[in-house]
Amino acid sequence: MKLLVQLLVNGLVNGAIYALVALAFGLVYRSTRIFHIALGAVYTTAAYGMYVGVKSGLGVGLALGILTAVLLSLAVEWGIYRPFVRKGSSLGVILIASLGVYIFVENLIALLFGNEVKIISSGIEPSYTFGPLILTRIQIIQFLVGFAITGVFFWGIKKTRFLKAVWAMGEEPLLLEVLGWPITRLRNAIFVWSAVLVGLASMLVAYDVGTDPHTGLSAILLGAVAVLVGGVDSLRGWIWTAFLIAEIQSLAIWKFSAKWNDAITFLLLILVLLLKPQGLFTSESRVEER
Amino acid sequence: MNYVIHLLIMINIYLVLAYSLNLVLGFGGLLSLCHAAFYGIGAYAYTLLAMHFDLPFMVALPLAMVITGLLAFFLGIPGLKFRGDPFVLVTLGFQVIIFSVLYNWVSLTKGPYGIPGIPRPEIFGFKIDSLYDFLGLTGSILILSVLFFLALYRSPFGLALKALREDERAAESLGKPSQLYLLWAFTLGGAVAAVSGALYATYVTYIDPTSFTLNESIFLVAILLVGGSGNFWGPTLGTIFLVLLPEALRFLGLPDTIAPNVRQMIYGTILIILMYWRPQGILGEFKIR
Amino acid sequence: MKKGELKLKNVGKKFKGFWAVKGVTAKFLPQRITGLIGPNGAGKTTLFHLITGELVPDEGDIIYQGESLKENPPWRVARKGIGRMFQDVRVFQGLSVLENIVLALQTPEEEIPFYGLLKKKEKKEEALRWIEFVGLENEIKRKAEDLSYGQQKLLALARIMAGNFDLLLLDEPIAGVSPVITKKILKLLREMVDKYKKTLVIIEHNMNVIMDITDWVYFLNEGRIYFSGRPDHVLGAEEVRRLYLGLVK
Repeated sequence: MKLLVQLLVNGLVNGAIYALVALAFGLVYRSTRIFHIALGAVYTTAAYGMYVGVKSGLGVGLALGILTAVLLSLAVEWGIYRPFVRKGSSLGVILIASLGVYIFVENLIALLFGNEVKIISSGIEPSYTFGPLILTRIQIIQFLVGFAITGVFFWGIKKTRFLKAVWAMGEEPLLLEVLGWPITRLRNAIFVWSAVLVGLASMLVAYDVGTDPHTGLSAILLGAVAVLVGGVDSLRGWIWTAFLIAEIQSLAIWKFSAKWNDAITFLLLILVLLLKPQGLFTSESRVEER
Repeated sequence: MNYVIHLLIMINIYLVLAYSLNLVLGFGGLLSLCHAAFYGIGAYAYTLLAMHFDLPFMVALPLAMVITGLLAFFLGIPGLKFRGDPFVLVTLGFQVIIFSVLYNWVSLTKGPYGIPGIPRPEIFGFKIDSLYDFLGLTGSILILSVLFFLALYRSPFGLALKALREDERAAESLGKPSQLYLLWAFTLGGAVAAVSGALYATYVTYIDPTSFTLNESIFLVAILLVGGSGNFWGPTLGTIFLVLLPEALRFLGLPDTIAPNVRQMIYGTILIILMYWRPQGILGEFKIR
Repeated sequence: MKKGELKLKNVGKKFKGFWAVKGVTAKFLPQRITGLIGPNGAGKTTLFHLITGELVPDEGDIIYQGESLKENPPWRVARKGIGRMFQDVRVFQGLSVLENIVLALQTPEEEIPFYGLLKKKEKKEEALRWIEFVGLENEIKRKAEDLSYGQQKLLALARIMAGNFDLLLLDEPIAGVSPVITKKILKLLREMVDKYKKTLVIIEHNMNVIMDITDWVYFLNEGRIYFSGRPDHVLGAEEVRRLYLGLVK
């Protein structure tokens, strides 16, 4: 019983991280329809940026992590996505190009830093006891940061101009341009925010368990699952689903063991999409959209 | 010389895989990321049948094909309800789930420890043992597969698949049942992937789940994207090119520690460049949607 | 029960609380051309979706040759003999003109894997017949994506003729097409009915075409049938002129 409560609370912590990743993926996907696999590269880059910078201090590490993530994100948007969009490439083609970017960066990092896991914080992490629960300091930070930021997006979706514009872009990009919205600036902002969100998630995780060049893909796939299962059209759905996935994973650990987590996450994806293809938190689409 | 024969054997094995995925991707137009899983199930099914039930090659192989084909069939029934990004993610899910089973169900598959000592095939009393024997075996199976797939690709069924890939709604308005036809393609593709699995298992005499990961599925898709798909020569070129590429790099004297990473970086770059300038691949017909 | 006879009985379709189509009752005369007119968003294309099975009606029934079409997926509706030409054409871009037509000629039995590699020769001859019907015989090897828009429409027409349907639903068959090809298409449409005994239902915005070739017209507005009758009656009706033709008294 004690274990279950601990696991469920861990689930909240993990959920906060997943929610950040889901937002990062979803913002790009919903507005540009691009399946941003390269986000995995941004994820990894942030962790390694932190790894390099932390030698000069934690603040430098954080700054360098975010900076490198944002730079890579913008580089991908300007160097890859925009040219492809201008060319009129289909979304599937852009997906593959994005995959190509991921593979390239993943292996560049492995080339430069080696394939082994890199630890960022050495020493034992202080832990705090809350009744039957034990949480490490980094876990608490993960939860607070993740919760705060996703909270901002959760409530901001109906209110801020930025999010409304992002949403409108996903519906009618041309209309937005006609109405005078600067699409390129909006896209830049989206890719910056996406990098910041995923960079924070990555660094929070890296500080906790370290990093290696190959974790990026699975991290952002989780975000992709949260977005598609939650429903592309429901930002709040992404957040709810991220937490849902984390809790289901905790339950799975409690019932079986951690080794089946990947399989269970995807089984959940498939089951939900079969029963409610538009996602848990949205409704129907038009025939013409097929 | 021996190394050249080894390369030819691997090319033969991968060609069969490429042609089978071509049916799903090039003809059906579906970006499936679970083909390595079928490759793996075929390898494991063959191995377990051959080793636990002492079945000869000519019996275990067709049985492995049936088992894999049935799995593909049952996965396809729900899976083929999706298109586009959800389909990619769902097949990715199948890949992850199947890999998980192969890796974690230790009592059945020995998990990460793998299964060593897979017996070499014996066909009509003739033991396939040497490199040249394997070249002959894989070559013969390749020829049979080529005939099989050419017949399929050029058949009315093949044309119907192409129509479905070009415009599913329009094809359905002409009476073509998309779910059913794509299911056949998916099932046949999976069943033939099992052939490569069995060949691989008997050739290397050892299998473990790490040969059948998501990365391997991505590699198979890359073959079709680089060489091209939707016809015969695209997958042929793609396979030869991507199987030989690491060898070419080795030739250039790249140290073994960094060679795999450099190779992957080259893959990534090739994918980006091709998708921009030639999304149908070098010799292919189908452009991803 | 005549060949190609389609009846709609009180058909209704709802989207999130809004009725795209409501209470539509209509009879489409077999071996005639019926026109479906109305403002954009009136529900004309939605009606086509409902007939072909891409949408399921919430109310009413669709009866084709005496049999209800409800619960049938589009491919089965097609196999019952209802063909469709889309507003956005939808020919198979990556396939050649010949392949587009051969595809339409293939029967379900032939499409079972491994069947009928041998039947290809016969198919080509039959395909040429329809390609010549629309006048594209110089383009048989060309990929559909390389054809002009007008040529693609002709190809789409040849394709549904090859499909051997009895009832054809045509969504704006001459929209966006040059006068020469328009004349050609109109001539082909009349031939399809007179010579090949097809039943046609046409969504059209061009009133000259409606006057010229249709035998009966339904005026649809806001999802309901407001008016129906012979083309000159419908187009002369005050309501139609006000709501649709923009001719206010």
